[in-house]
Amino acid sequence: MADNEREVIEERDIVNTSVDPEFIEKMPRRFQRRRPRQVVPDYVDWKDVDYLKQYVPERGKIMPRRISGISAKDQRRIAKAIKRARAMALLPFVAD
Amino acid sequence: MANRIYEVMYVADPETTDEAIGKLNEAVEKLVQTEGGSVVRTDDIGRRRMAYPINKKKEGYYVLFEIEGSGQEIAELERRMRVNEAILRYLTVRVDEDRKAADKKRDKRENKASKRASFRKTGDQNEMETANNAR
Repeated sequence: MADNEREVIEERDIVNTSVDPEFIEKMPRRFQRRRPRQVVPDYVDWKDVDYLKQYVPERGKIMPRRISGISAKDQRRIAKAIKRARAMALLPFVAD
Repeated sequence: MANRIYEVMYVADPETTDEAIGKLNEAVEKLVQTEGGSVVRTDDIGRRRMAYPINKKKEGYYVLFEIEGSGQEIAELERRMRVNEAILRYLTVRVDEDRKAADKKRDKRENKASKRASFRKTGDQNEMETANNAR
């Protein structure tokens, strides 16, 4: 399965090289799967914006668990902290 | 009843003078004390750009309190903050339980680490004994 995936990526790259290089830069890059088992501090502080930003991509949405790679329990804690920070305008609800 | 610890943060209008903010903070402290609680910490974060505009204002004046008490003072404080027009937003979070949970987690981890270390030591001793016996 991993081999299949690599093949697909390579194919896409080959296609891209034939296109205008500027276009390649604008192409949405596929989100890289994060390493599982992310270490989350014992206390997730809702005021620690710099830490929480790790889990908020540009669009302002909360990163899903399949990408963030943290446990369900930790994901809940982080999501809650992000929501609190949003209420106080420390983090955006939507950013574009 | 065990005392609770709260974090109270408010965002004030950026146009309020520093003097008014100081007065506000004093009033908060006074109010909390009369209700039987105490302000553990006051953190004046100051003017900060908000992530989105509130009431057409792009900046806000942030102040954070850490308050210890029964919860009565929080109810009164929130009532006052709701009425105050200089305060754009406020948020109260009870932190004692989460902190306790965090401490517990840390203790558990440290305990495990120390146990593992002591086990390793006895392992070394065993090795030494067998080495001595062989001699």
